[in-house]
Amino acid sequence: MNHGQQSGEAKHEDDAALTEFLASLMDYTPTIPDDLVEHYLAKSGFQCPDVRLIRLVAVATQKFVADVASDALQHCKARPAPVVKDKKQQKDKRLVLTMEDLSKALREYGVNVKHPEYFADSPSTGMDPATREE
Amino acid sequence: MNKKRRRKARVNSEAPDDQSAAEFSFSLTRVAVSQICLSVGYTSTDTSSTLNTLTLITTKFLQSIAELAASFSNSANRTEANLFDIVNGLQDTALSTSDCFPGGSTLHNTESHCLIKSAVLRNLSDFVASAFEIPFAKPLPRLETSGSHGGDSTRMARSPEMRSFPAWLPPFPDSSLYLEPYTKERSDHLWENSDSVIGRETFVETSGVRSSGRLPLRRASVRFKMGRDCSNGGGSCKSDTRLERRRDDNDGEYGREFEAKKKIGEEYIYCADIDAGEWNM
Repeated sequence: MNHGQQSGEAKHEDDAALTEFLASLMDYTPTIPDDLVEHYLAKSGFQCPDVRLIRLVAVATQKFVADVASDALQHCKARPAPVVKDKKQQKDKRLVLTMEDLSKALREYGVNVKHPEYFADSPSTGMDPATREE
Repeated sequence: MNKKRRRKARVNSEAPDDQSAAEFSFSLTRVAVSQICLSVGYTSTDTSSTLNTLTLITTKFLQSIAELAASFSNSANRTEANLFDIVNGLQDTALSTSDCFPGGSTLHNTESHCLIKSAVLRNLSDFVASAFEIPFAKPLPRLETSGSHGGDSTRMARSPEMRSFPAWLPPFPDSSLYLEPYTKERSDHLWENSDSVIGRETFVETSGVRSSGRLPLRRASVRFKMGRDCSNGGGSCKSDTRLERRRDDNDGEYGREFEAKKKIGEEYIYCADIDAGEWNM
């Protein structure tokens, strides 16, 4: 009996927390506009009239991009900085998002982004003449 | 030189107009992604391809969540997704991006159906509570759309007859494209009223009842021929006279006349005599 009451109270608290979270979504303005999110959702067959769910998806996407960007930033800061003699240049260190850092960060999320090292004119370019004849 | 400059200017002015909806939405997403990167701490990117890559991945992430949520809702015999579908989609996305996450086992617990126990939702809740708001750089014009049209401005509001169709389906094409307009001239082109009917008699329509193409049980005999229209000036009508003479010759021998089909060039000419509604070839 007591166990049932405790589980009921816990469930009630969880429901209240969920309701509060959904209500807070209406006060929070995500960076990605609702219309833009609706466009991409409709493209995939997603249909929902509730704006809170649209904003939930927008917040989830914003968090994903922020996580990827922050991981890339960590990779950028972890790289050994070049020796700079001028103190002014050292202070004005600008953080630049590079493809190398982005590919390292995305690899942790299961996305393979890799630029080819070089472009060849034909598949046999750079091969030995003997193997080319074969 | 001036003419070339004017032509180039015209081409440049026409380019923005020709941008498709996909390019427009991609450019908007790129602005949002760049704002998020600025909030994280970045000041610039080395090349435009880096930002385009991150923007493309963002759009793919959005679409993957939508596809997962839509598939979950369709599996439950629903067309509209709810919170459960979205959370399941987020769970599946998190599974694909990381090895494991806490709280996933209690999501489908029959005792407690609360979604807040999911770690994904809890992380989002913490993110909303702690992260600073970064509104979009420029306000987008809000279109007055009813229901879930997906923000597509090209969709028209459905008429009352079309409300049974889901809103996410594309609109029907203009009725003028597939409906032929009914005009008075069209009624004159009915074969009963055409010149091919020899000795036609006007059929008196009963009041308030249209024949709708059906012949009455009792009707007068009608002779008609079908052939190439000589009034247009194409082809000769000599064959018509020959067939007419043949009919006259056979008049005395046969009560009913019929003429075997004769292939003259590219056309077939039939001559027959309809008697009491019977058609013989």
